[in-house]
Amino acid sequence: MITTDILVIGAGPAGSIAAKHAALNGANVLLIDRKSEIGAPKRCAEGVSIEGLKKLGIETSPRWAVKDIEGIRLVAPNGTDVWLNDDTIELPEAGYILERKVFDKHMAMDAGRAGAQIKIKTLAKEIIKKEDHYVVICEHLGELIEIKANIIIAADGPESRIARLAGLKTGTKIKDMESGIQFEMCNVEMTNPNVLEFYFGSVAPGGYAWIFPKGEDIANVGLAVIPTDTDKTAYQHLLDFVANCPATQNAQAVELNVGGDPVGGVHKHISGDNILVVGDAAGQVNPLTGGGIISGMTCGKIAGEVAANAIKEENYSSKRLYEYDKLVDDELGEKMKKYSKTRDYLASLSDKELDSIAVAFQDVEFEEVSTTELIKKLVKVSPKALLKLGKLI
Amino acid sequence: MIVKEWCSYCGECAGVCPRNLILVRETELEFDTGECKECDFCIKACPVNALEKD
Ligand SMILES: Cc1cc2nc3c(=O)[nH]c(=O)nc-3n(C[C@H](O)[C@H](O)[C@H](O)COP(=O)(O)OP(=O)(O)OC[C@H]3O[C@@H](n4cnc5c(N)ncnc54)[C@H](O)[C@@H]3O)c2cc1C
Repeated sequence: MITTDILVIGAGPAGSIAAKHAALNGANVLLIDRKSEIGAPKRCAEGVSIEGLKKLGIETSPRWAVKDIEGIRLVAPNGTDVWLNDDTIELPEAGYILERKVFDKHMAMDAGRAGAQIKIKTLAKEIIKKEDHYVVICEHLGELIEIKANIIIAADGPESRIARLAGLKTGTKIKDMESGIQFEMCNVEMTNPNVLEFYFGSVAPGGYAWIFPKGEDIANVGLAVIPTDTDKTAYQHLLDFVANCPATQNAQAVELNVGGDPVGGVHKHISGDNILVVGDAAGQVNPLTGGGIISGMTCGKIAGEVAANAIKEENYSSKRLYEYDKLVDDELGEKMKKYSKTRDYLASLSDKELDSIAVAFQDVEFEEVSTTELIKKLVKVSPKALLKLGKLI
Repeated sequence: MIVKEWCSYCGECAGVCPRNLILVRETELEFDTGECKECDFCIKACPVNALEKD
């Protein structure tokens, strides 16, 4: 039996940073992942904010920050577009495009350098609750291993199986799970290869489509849909998008990525006796953009610190670990509510309403216009859209 | 459950399973079919239609 203070299950960005900060704070840490290569295959459009990385104290490396992003282009169903740049408005996922396969490995290496042990190709299968610890049954290259840990940090992504085995309600309802799919493509003819492009409306029911540039003609071209909002699969929607979008008429796919993105907000209980839940497993994803790298890592860092302090105090009770829930709520609570409302609003608009809003805002200088003026414009082009906004607020 | 060759083991099916019955390995899915209530959310959520009832 392997014994450790803290067992982190899942070496995605949230798990690795949790392991790093738990180790930096003096705990004995073991980080496991079922994959043979951390970070691969990628399940991400790879957009991340500069501010977010800075706040986490992560120095950018050209090995994984492959493209600077300076703005975004919002495209309505009829093709009308609105351009925003990062001086004008806070753009949550704009900053860099990552190479996730390298970034995730780099974050795991950071954890290793901070003192965490790492064990790859190790799948956590079952957990057994003992009086003051957990025993986790793992599979490693056909062998069964038992790991005894005082605290588990469950960082197992959108499946969130481990926390559920511990009795926490962290499953995602199908109406809150975005089905994501993406090609990495070359020959993409972008209007400006330094901006993120978002396409709204029936092109991606319940979500949106995107083109995130990784080079002059290279981009992640993808979309996410809510499965219950459509009769087609996410893949069929992607094929339609690529066939119809002007930028992808000559594009060629070199990679296919798929994955679920839980956009229902942070789960109500993300800690319990001897367990903390982080990242996608805890629902720490921006409900509007589906971005979860920075929010998951921010909470992962908090979890690592709280767990290490609990180890020092030899108190792993749910009462002690509840500090984590409170710190996460302080960090994300209000923001998540705001983004969730905006998502509901966008989802309530028809293609026609989206078109008229885009037409109204097409030439607006956002830094020079007040909220009242924006509302006046909205009432002129689409009183129905304004009414829906009013109802939501 | 029949898992088609093109499944990429992304785990979305496991995330929406209300009974937590799907174990995702790097290149294999394991279903605890005995407990399954056939809600079919796993089939519906799959981005590439890789699951089929047997
Ligand atoms: C199509 C798509 C596009 C996206 N685009 C963006 C974007 O542009 N920007 C952004 O910020 N976010 C984006 N996201 C979301 C982002 O990818 C996730 O929020 C992020 O990866 C969450 O990190 P995590 O560490 O919580 O989980 P993950 O990155 O999912 O890592 C979980 C890890 O746990 C391991 N694991 C699972 N179960 C076990 C087990 N039982 N035993 C051992 N190991 C296990 C897995 O192998 C995996 O390595 C996107 C998501 C999708 C699906």
